[in-house]
Amino acid sequence: MIALLESIGAMLQRLCLQSGLYPMLFGKIIRRLAKRPFFFRQIFLQCEEVGVQSLPVVLLTAVFTGMVLALQSFIAFHRFGAESMTATVVSMSILRELGPVLVGLMVAGRIGASFAAELGTMRVTEQIDALWTLSTDPVRYLVIPRFLAALLMMPLLVVLADGIGILGGYGISVWMLDQNPSVYWTNSFLYLKQIDFWSGLLKALVFGGIIGLIGCTEGFYCEGGAVGVGEATTRAVVLSAMSILVGDYILTAWIFQ
Amino acid sequence: MNPDIKISTRGLRKVFDHRVILEHVDLDIMAGESHVVIGMSGTGKSVLLKSILGLIQPDAGSILVNGEDWCALSEDEKLERMRCIGVVFQGAALFDSLPVWQNVAFVLLRQGTSPQEARARAEEVLDWVGLPGIGNKMPAELSGGMKKRVGLARAICHQPEIILYDEPLTGLDPVMSDIILTLMKRLHEELKVTSLTISHNMNLVRKFSDRVSMLYEGRIHQQLRRDEIDTCTDPVFRQFVEGTAVGPMHIQGTEHNGRNQP
Repeated sequence: MIALLESIGAMLQRLCLQSGLYPMLFGKIIRRLAKRPFFFRQIFLQCEEVGVQSLPVVLLTAVFTGMVLALQSFIAFHRFGAESMTATVVSMSILRELGPVLVGLMVAGRIGASFAAELGTMRVTEQIDALWTLSTDPVRYLVIPRFLAALLMMPLLVVLADGIGILGGYGISVWMLDQNPSVYWTNSFLYLKQIDFWSGLLKALVFGGIIGLIGCTEGFYCEGGAVGVGEATTRAVVLSAMSILVGDYILTAWIFQ
Repeated sequence: MNPDIKISTRGLRKVFDHRVILEHVDLDIMAGESHVVIGMSGTGKSVLLKSILGLIQPDAGSILVNGEDWCALSEDEKLERMRCIGVVFQGAALFDSLPVWQNVAFVLLRQGTSPQEARARAEEVLDWVGLPGIGNKMPAELSGGMKKRVGLARAICHQPEIILYDEPLTGLDPVMSDIILTLMKRLHEELKVTSLTISHNMNLVRKFSDRVSMLYEGRIHQQLRRDEIDTCTDPVFRQFVEGTAVGPMHIQGTEHNGRNQP
């Protein structure tokens, strides 16, 4: 019994220590954001990694999501003769929910894992310590560029994914389900409000921050050699994905209620 | 404080998970000397080195470098003063994403030196460590010994006053160990830099040290000049030097490097 309580206590202690690392690193980022030096080249390189390199997977996800959504919605609306609403449902779902959430999950898998693995490997091979000894702040040089890149690139990726997703729905509806192109196009935007677009962008920004912070924290404070890097990478992906889904609910409830 | 003292620790204490790693460590490294700290694995050698570098915050005590208390400095102030120190890491710790010359000239490039000048200086230092013409290679293309020499080149490229070596010969074959040791001696004799080396290699101690300190159970157990090594009769020191399992030494657990990273 005592052993059980001890192990529960140890687990809770580990959990508290681990969760304390996120606000700690976030605090370090915020404190350094306004102070020189700024590593613009590193920020640019990370923006390329997060933004440009993620484009294929994000756009592929978006186009197929739009296509499936159009197909499913058309079948459902066809049962009570409201096929023309397909366009509205596709565009609204993509802008409000599917765009930011699916892009978030894809980027969490690709970038969150990459941040944790890169920084974790640098930690266990003493490269982060080496940076410090070479008069370079590792948070400024490694963490801030990654965090900012995730924060800035996510909204851009979501805008592109929104557009491609809506086009995917348009393609299926017009070319496969024989809907009128101009009616579809009009219905896509007729019932939309600005908040539908901006809420998606706000979500993208928050999800970008979540992915950047979790990936960087897991990697930056990684311990335990190769096994530790593996565990940090897994935790980064799982925690980012879960945080995106929970965060999505909270943001939706806050924006639309 | 004596102006000849480059690094001084006073009453240094560090505890991890209720285990005392360092307990009242007093150590003075004089200008121009080569000081080697020896001790078994887990006795706190790396913690001592990381404390001096500011990578670990000690629980008590002070660390003075060039007479200035580094424990009282902010992170930015420490980073600024870190330029007076070069560090050679056990595994070289080269940046995988940068070619060799950018690794070597990292500090110069950060200080705003033009890429051409930084490249020229990097090539000069690489030549000095016996690796001319490898500036464009990536660290992954180098052998362990070459990485170590590039690590040494990186540590000296910005001409620091003090060089810290963390287990510089670990994992190297005898020939490569001798090459690195020769380079370290040349560096010490030609450039007159102050050296602090963490090692348990007695060959290095005999060939490279001016003074040697033995860390045992978190404290400086013995401090000797090189010529006193063979005449010292302390049983713990003798057991370590002779490398025997039988003796008064209390064998401790595994090494703990902590988590107080910057």
